[in-house]
Amino acid sequence: MGSMYRASKTLKSSRQAFSFLFNSLKSNRRDPLCIGLYQTYDFSSDSRQSSREPAIDLTQFPSEKIRNFSIIAHIDHGKSTLADRLMELTGTIKKGLGQPQYLDKLQVERERGITVKAQTATMFYENIVKDQEASGFLLNLIDTPGHVDFSYEVSRSLSACQGALLVVDAAQGVQAQTVANFYLAFESNLTIVPVINKIDQPTADPDRVKAQLKSMFDLDTDDCLLVSAKTGLGLEHVLPAVIERIPPPSGLSDSPLRMLLFDSFFNEYKGVICYVSVVDGMLSKGDKVSFAASGQSYEVLDVGIMHPELTSTGMLLTGQVGYIVTGMRTTKEARIGDTIYRTKTTVEPLPGFKPVRHMVFSGVYPADGSDFDALDHAMEKLTCNDASVSVAKETSTALGMGFRCGFLGLLHMDVFHQRLEQEYGTQVISTIPTVPYTFEYSDGSKLQVQNPAALPSSPKYRVTASWEPTVIATIILPSEFVGGVINLCSDRRGQQLEYTFIDAQRVFLKYQLPLREIVVDFYDELKSITSGYASFDYEDAEYQKSDLVKVDILLNGQAVDALASIVHSQKAYRVGKVLVEKLKSFIDRQMFEVMIQAAIGSKIIARDTISAMRKNVLAKCYGGDITRKKKLLEKQKEGKKRMKRVGSVDIPHEAFQQILKVS
Amino acid sequence: MLKTTISPIFSSFTGKPRTSRFIFKAFKVVLQDAPPSARRNASTNLTTLHQGPPTSAYVHLPFCRKRCHYCDFPILALGTSSSSSTKPSYVYEEGKEDDPRITNYVNLLVREIKATSTDFDARPSLETVFFGGGTPSLVPPKLVSLVLETLSSSFGLSPDAEISMEMDPGTFGAQKLKELMELGVNRVSLGVQAFQDELLKACGRAHGVSEVYEAIKLVKDCGVKNWSMDLISSLPHQSLDMWEESLRLAIESQPNHVSVYDLQVEQGTKFGNLYTPGQSPLPSETQSAEFYKTASSMLRGAGYEHYEVSSYSRDGFKCRHNLIYWKNKPFYAFGLGSASYVGGLRFSRPRRLKEYTSYVADLEKGAANWCGNGDVNLKDVATDIIMLSFRTSKGLEVKDFGEAFGSEVVKSICRVYEPYVESGHIVCLDDMRREVLSGEFKTLVANDEVKIEDHVRYLRLSDPDGFLLSNELISLAFNVIAS
Repeated sequence: MGSMYRASKTLKSSRQAFSFLFNSLKSNRRDPLCIGLYQTYDFSSDSRQSSREPAIDLTQFPSEKIRNFSIIAHIDHGKSTLADRLMELTGTIKKGLGQPQYLDKLQVERERGITVKAQTATMFYENIVKDQEASGFLLNLIDTPGHVDFSYEVSRSLSACQGALLVVDAAQGVQAQTVANFYLAFESNLTIVPVINKIDQPTADPDRVKAQLKSMFDLDTDDCLLVSAKTGLGLEHVLPAVIERIPPPSGLSDSPLRMLLFDSFFNEYKGVICYVSVVDGMLSKGDKVSFAASGQSYEVLDVGIMHPELTSTGMLLTGQVGYIVTGMRTTKEARIGDTIYRTKTTVEPLPGFKPVRHMVFSGVYPADGSDFDALDHAMEKLTCNDASVSVAKETSTALGMGFRCGFLGLLHMDVFHQRLEQEYGTQVISTIPTVPYTFEYSDGSKLQVQNPAALPSSPKYRVTASWEPTVIATIILPSEFVGGVINLCSDRRGQQLEYTFIDAQRVFLKYQLPLREIVVDFYDELKSITSGYASFDYEDAEYQKSDLVKVDILLNGQAVDALASIVHSQKAYRVGKVLVEKLKSFIDRQMFEVMIQAAIGSKIIARDTISAMRKNVLAKCYGGDITRKKKLLEKQKEGKKRMKRVGSVDIPHEAFQQILKVS
Repeated sequence: MLKTTISPIFSSFTGKPRTSRFIFKAFKVVLQDAPPSARRNASTNLTTLHQGPPTSAYVHLPFCRKRCHYCDFPILALGTSSSSSTKPSYVYEEGKEDDPRITNYVNLLVREIKATSTDFDARPSLETVFFGGGTPSLVPPKLVSLVLETLSSSFGLSPDAEISMEMDPGTFGAQKLKELMELGVNRVSLGVQAFQDELLKACGRAHGVSEVYEAIKLVKDCGVKNWSMDLISSLPHQSLDMWEESLRLAIESQPNHVSVYDLQVEQGTKFGNLYTPGQSPLPSETQSAEFYKTASSMLRGAGYEHYEVSSYSRDGFKCRHNLIYWKNKPFYAFGLGSASYVGGLRFSRPRRLKEYTSYVADLEKGAANWCGNGDVNLKDVATDIIMLSFRTSKGLEVKDFGEAFGSEVVKSICRVYEPYVESGHIVCLDDMRREVLSGEFKTLVANDEVKIEDHVRYLRLSDPDGFLLSNELISLAFNVIAS
């Protein structure tokens, strides 16, 4: 489980799974469209300091008084609620004020109860630590996305931390994402503080969870904190444990400035806001800084901490975490993982992040087929704030102009579509998600394919080999469902790597699966087999050689590019048959007989026909009254406008939507 | 690109018949088969055809014994008569027809005609009059005479005018028919619909098959040469055998004209409430198409020309009045719910008697307009022409259309139609009405240098395949005009 860049995780129905949690639809502060809120948010940083609080003097907080930590957990184990409580406890936010899940600022995060973008809050805490005098501590809580689709976000957040609270639900116990997140933190050399949450639940069984933590992660059962973030039970032990157990940042205050850029977002008024962690040295407002990877230099126009709103401090010292504003225009200039240093000094760059790997690709097209400009505009705004999506223009003969987007995983894609629709009001059609394949030809050339349509159906040279990406999947489930899940995994061409009992009731399964097999409906299937009791996670694994073929869908002999797919040869017939059937049910009769075929190269593997329309004739225009008939024809004409034409066959736009949705 | 080419042509102009009617004199197109009256205005073209004075009038006589189950026309059902006869109430009896409702209506109709004042420069006489309904044959001849006299004094009535009347079996006798003919009615359209009692009953017709035979005999005995028979296909429970039988019996009775209508199930009718098109007891789409093809082949085999999507005639017996519609020429309309086309504007009169009565009163006071308001939109004219001319076997005159609306539009339509020329749904014809084959057509369309009109004179829908899909094909052309 070594990769920090485990990209994706399929959670197609996460909407149903999470939506009951929080439906608070209050404004999204990070959304550049919420202008009103933005202003308050921006001005508050200075006015609040001058009127109500003394300006924050960060010099009081040398490294040893700083703790940088994050909270990691399986979805719904109470991470965000715990974050809220800790902020209330330190007076960072007022109790009962503001919205729950304070750090989840995107509408989609609140709706789904998930965290997509990592957030940070600085808290001040008075505490007596063992023999030391009462002294203030500066605690940086760096929130992480709970979902491992966003594990690159987790990784970057963790890299700014020295420790992590591993939150586990007292009733549900260790789940797949607990495992994934644990290893991410473990491999980042973080000190792990296990927190068993929700101990107030009637079904809570902390001892069982302790045993699981011991057997799976070798964590000391005596170290486990027992809390209920909801009732406040045991919360008082959390921050002392953070201060006692997690080491302070180890940077050198005398060394030249080195900062890690670990996140960025776009603010319509200030430009790009960069979240930084100061590793060595110190930074002041007005300093000139350079970015190692991009080579660009900027003046620091503002510097401060997230308290939790942006609060100017004029400086950041060694070990501290905060933001800088440099007048940068797009987040593309702010490469996550970049090292920032003082201009004209020479420093050794920090170990940066590898670039994000996009593992799921899908075409995104305007739903009504014509409104490309609106989509273009929305895409630009959204990607300006989400550098994790790769976007390239593409044209489909069937769907017109659109984009090929690369995502970290299915949930990431889903969230991106939802944000397009919610925040920018854009209706889209997205094509069947696909994964990046590699094909090798007899002339030795290789082709990387992100869009099945781009793979030649009848290539000049013979395909000699093909590779597809795989994942290592972790599934934790009640033992009674193991049979069904094993069947599912083998149907999806999975290879079993591990099968162990966590305790008497729960089984831990590890499989290597082709990414393609889990990208569409694996999680839905898994949930239905296990009545929702399985948790699932995966990480990227290597490419494997595979027998891949392209299945074209042809209408009267003409390929429909948007419906092409690349599948394992054993599955080709099934896929072809299903697509042909679906297409048949969505296409109306036409003036000609329509032949629908699925083909591998020139070999037809499935076919059906839609018989020709027999009659669509004008009735009498009685007494010369043609108005009604004309209306009917006008309506019919409008219907034709909504059609996508492939060769001579009209396909309703809705058909694409339906076929691509249910596939 | 197309858009910019068309837009200056497809602008609107005000279509008031009273003022400058021949704006487009620049386009000189001689319509070869135009009637004598129109021929005087030889400079008209397609865009101005509707601008001249009408030479046709539709007169709506809305009375019926009862409403048929498929009918959604503006009719006035008279109900069962008070006759104490033992015959069914709807059966015609001479002299039992002085219903005051009819008299009152005809008086109102006459007032409407009189209140219709035109100020066309030319005042050509009416060449066609069509009494439609309802069941016009329920109206006493003396009232029909009143209407004809009024029309004649208002507009003039050409001595060789075609005067048609729709008549239903069981609503007239020899004496009435003779009287009507003496008044000038010279074309009878007999509403037979089917030759099976069970079908007639199922669709609520007020007559049976015996009345049908009686009526045919009456028409023939009275020497009406120009008569037409109406039939309806796709009735509930109708089988192909029944339909063939109806066609055979129709042919045997030797009308010079046959109209075949495919049943339209309209909302709000009894059929609309009971049945879904394409589902039992209505025939399936395939069966229905079969009915249409059978009619086309049997009637053509018996010497009838399929000159319009639902009309068949023997030589010289096309309905002159209906041809006015298909040529997009103007016509007056009088009576409840009737639709006129004058000065480029289509206008429908109120469908309810009460509103129609006040409309006529307003007209007399000068408070209402008899031909509608608004501007003539040239795109509408273009789509009207396409929709109407594709109904006919003659088809669309590509050359005239190109001159009126631009060569680019013609090219675009041809481009869209190319696959359907290949599939045989659309037929291209040259000046001599010789077929331009699909290969050649393809070459013409592909060549940007070529003006299609120089090589293709007509586009028409093939019979029966093209006619059967006319809605689809016409809406494709609509799409071209709209873009």
